[in-house]
Amino acid sequence: MESSTEAEYAAFLEKVRRTVYLDNLSPQVTESVLKTALSQFGTVKNVQFIPSYTESKNIQQFALVEMDNSNQAKAIISSMGEFPFMMSGMPRSVRARAAEVEMFDDRPIKPGRKIQCRWLDPDDPDFEVAQKLKHVVRKHTAEASFVLKQQLDQEEMLAKQQADSLKQNYKKYELLDSIMADGTANRLARHYDIRNLDD
Amino acid sequence: MVEEAEIENLEFKWGKKRGIGGKKKDVQFYESFTYDGVEYTLYDSVYLYKEEESKPYIGKLIKIWENADKTKRVKVLWFFRPSEISNFLGNDQTPENELFLACGEGVGLTNVNPLEAIAGKCNVVCTSKDSRNPQPSDKELQMSDFIFYRTFDVGLHKVLNKIDEKIAGIEVKFLLNKVDCQKSSGALKVDSKKKNIDKNATASDETLISAQKNIPENMTAKTSAKERGKPSLVKQKSLLSENPASNVDVESGGIAKTSVLEDVSTDSTTFRSKAKENAHTKISSVKQKSALGERVPSGEGAGIGEIVRSNRLENLPGNKSSSSSKVEFEKSKAKGGKVLELKEVVKSTKDRGELDNRPCKRSRLDTSVEAYDDKIKNHMQNLGRDSVWNGAKPKLGIIDFENISKTKVAIPYGIDGGPFKKQKVDEKLIKPTNGKVEKTSSIQPSIFEKKTDKRVLEVARRPNLDRSKWFKELPWEERIRVAHEQGTLVLLENLDPSYTSTEVEDIVWHAFKENCSAKMIQRIAFSSPHSGQAYVIFKTREAAEKVVTKLDEGCLMLSNRRLLVGSVRTPRFTGKQSTFVGHLVIDKLKFQMQREMREAVSTSHCSQPNTLEYDMAIEWCMLQEKLDCAWKKLYEQQGQELRKLKAKLKPK
Repeated sequence: MESSTEAEYAAFLEKVRRTVYLDNLSPQVTESVLKTALSQFGTVKNVQFIPSYTESKNIQQFALVEMDNSNQAKAIISSMGEFPFMMSGMPRSVRARAAEVEMFDDRPIKPGRKIQCRWLDPDDPDFEVAQKLKHVVRKHTAEASFVLKQQLDQEEMLAKQQADSLKQNYKKYELLDSIMADGTANRLARHYDIRNLDD
Repeated sequence: MVEEAEIENLEFKWGKKRGIGGKKKDVQFYESFTYDGVEYTLYDSVYLYKEEESKPYIGKLIKIWENADKTKRVKVLWFFRPSEISNFLGNDQTPENELFLACGEGVGLTNVNPLEAIAGKCNVVCTSKDSRNPQPSDKELQMSDFIFYRTFDVGLHKVLNKIDEKIAGIEVKFLLNKVDCQKSSGALKVDSKKKNIDKNATASDETLISAQKNIPENMTAKTSAKERGKPSLVKQKSLLSENPASNVDVESGGIAKTSVLEDVSTDSTTFRSKAKENAHTKISSVKQKSALGERVPSGEGAGIGEIVRSNRLENLPGNKSSSSSKVEFEKSKAKGGKVLELKEVVKSTKDRGELDNRPCKRSRLDTSVEAYDDKIKNHMQNLGRDSVWNGAKPKLGIIDFENISKTKVAIPYGIDGGPFKKQKVDEKLIKPTNGKVEKTSSIQPSIFEKKTDKRVLEVARRPNLDRSKWFKELPWEERIRVAHEQGTLVLLENLDPSYTSTEVEDIVWHAFKENCSAKMIQRIAFSSPHSGQAYVIFKTREAAEKVVTKLDEGCLMLSNRRLLVGSVRTPRFTGKQSTFVGHLVIDKLKFQMQREMREAVSTSHCSQPNTLEYDMAIEWCMLQEKLDCAWKKLYEQQGQELRKLKAKLKPK
């Protein structure tokens, strides 16, 4: 009697296996960008973005990409682990992981699970512990959001640092370029009797 | 051939002809028809079943015809239940029995269905104060299954207080109360219960065939065409412990008269049943009932279902699908279900029989019979010894109704509701168990409330689940925004991350008796493995506040000793941002970059180790790794804290 829910769940698990979870995605990344970018690894069957309501504004995007089979999914994960993969911008790379069941919005109910709930009696000795537990849960959420904030700060810091160094580098190359362009390099070469760079 | 025979068994007769239509003039329209002993006339309200739906749909027949290929069709103008349009009702509290007539233009106004999809009549009374509407009498209101006075515009998705001049091309006077129906049901009188207490009576059983709500329906059926009356509803009560003898008279203003007198005495186990009926009465149905009646007092409660079932099986060895339906039939009867239900069940299976493929039918039988078997026994035992039964009757009635409709398989809606897929068969097989669970769990609330709180509740499916998929809901982002503005949004924390949104809704229903819609927040790489979060939207602000305070002051413990935490949190909405931290753009090259970005491939690539980009990307990878470690550590630590605290709880 349970066979069909179980079959449904097994089919879902199969889907999970051939799905890749991607994060560090730019908000510019759309479904079509993902499809084109990942088509080199196989057939993209479905793309689903994971919405985030709790995080602050400067947040990366998260997506679930369902491939044709689990081998293609594995190929994506391994090659993105090997080389930094750029999508809609650089140098912050996209990261790929195996998808997990809880990432799916439309996951079916796990067959055979029974949920129980009960209200604790205030006289119950557990009541106090329970209150503490609730408190701890709230504390943990606060901690997590603090860490997230730290993460965002660090990301921003790195980005800024890289932007600066990029600007410096760019300036350097530009300078070099301009020296070549306006003949200064050639003049200097002649002056110091060095062989012409163009030769 | 079996199927043909079955269809013929199902009494069907066309009534008055109307006109001819269709391109080749081969479509015959009708004004009325008789189906399974019930006469349906144009503009009658009927129940229709759809697969997967726990509650039958309700609609008005606005066109009846037969195609050239002898298929019978009805066009149905829909009524909406409040639950089906709950998203558009706002915070209005609507009574359970209020319906909304579809109007406007768009999906959900009308549908063409196979005539066989009709599962029974439904008495819907219009209570609109509109001058066009013949006002219903008090009695009529009492007898009604449903009332309506508002309409729902399917195009605008809006509830309207007025009723248009024409809906789906039908003049409104046909859609409001009928004049003749008003008279007849006003004259209806149901008299019951002559108490005669007999101390010898030990068994306590109650067979309530036909609920009150059937009566008016049938009355309308009878009165709309006077020549035939079918007393398919016989209210038979044998409360053996208290009234071993009971008289039930059903009268209908002299138009159709049916009276079944029953004398049930447990001493002698004699049973007499008299039925006076009009010319076209269906006697067989009455006989069936009296047969049942006889058995009940004889104290063989537990046996009835099976006896009758096996009878049925023998009677109809050919048609397997029908046999399983009979099981349901008898089951609900024995349970004190309603005649209407029975009819619906039977009819729907018959529909199925007609629309199904044969092989599919067969496969369905083998397993379903077994499933029902158990269920019946179960119910019969309940009936035999459960004295709570009487008290809980009204409630059970409703639940049974749902159960039955659940166990029912699907009448395909499309015109060519062709063969069923195997999948559906399976679904059906699961449902009986589902239904059972639901029943027990939905009885619980009443007990639960009285005894206050200390019970462990098994969270099963909510009984009155809003499963309507008529209209697409707004996207969640929008809903959360609106809910937050209205103060109906609550964030639940410390759920098992593997719960699904539906399960969260079920939990909320069981713990707070509040309906809500929930959305589990999907897991991302750095989500906590300990605490799953879900946004829950309640119907009212009060409900949301109540839940938050209750969770704050009390402690709701879920499976695996999780304590639910609820709070009001401001969700952050990600507007479209144009820049992304970590994606660098060289100002002078900006224009070129944008162009490249449009051609995704040029910007999606693996970095090669000999570039500046690669070096920088590696920096990002390192940062990501570092952060990963930080998250991992944090959650490890949190997990330890939780474990330590949980150890202080007394062992289970």
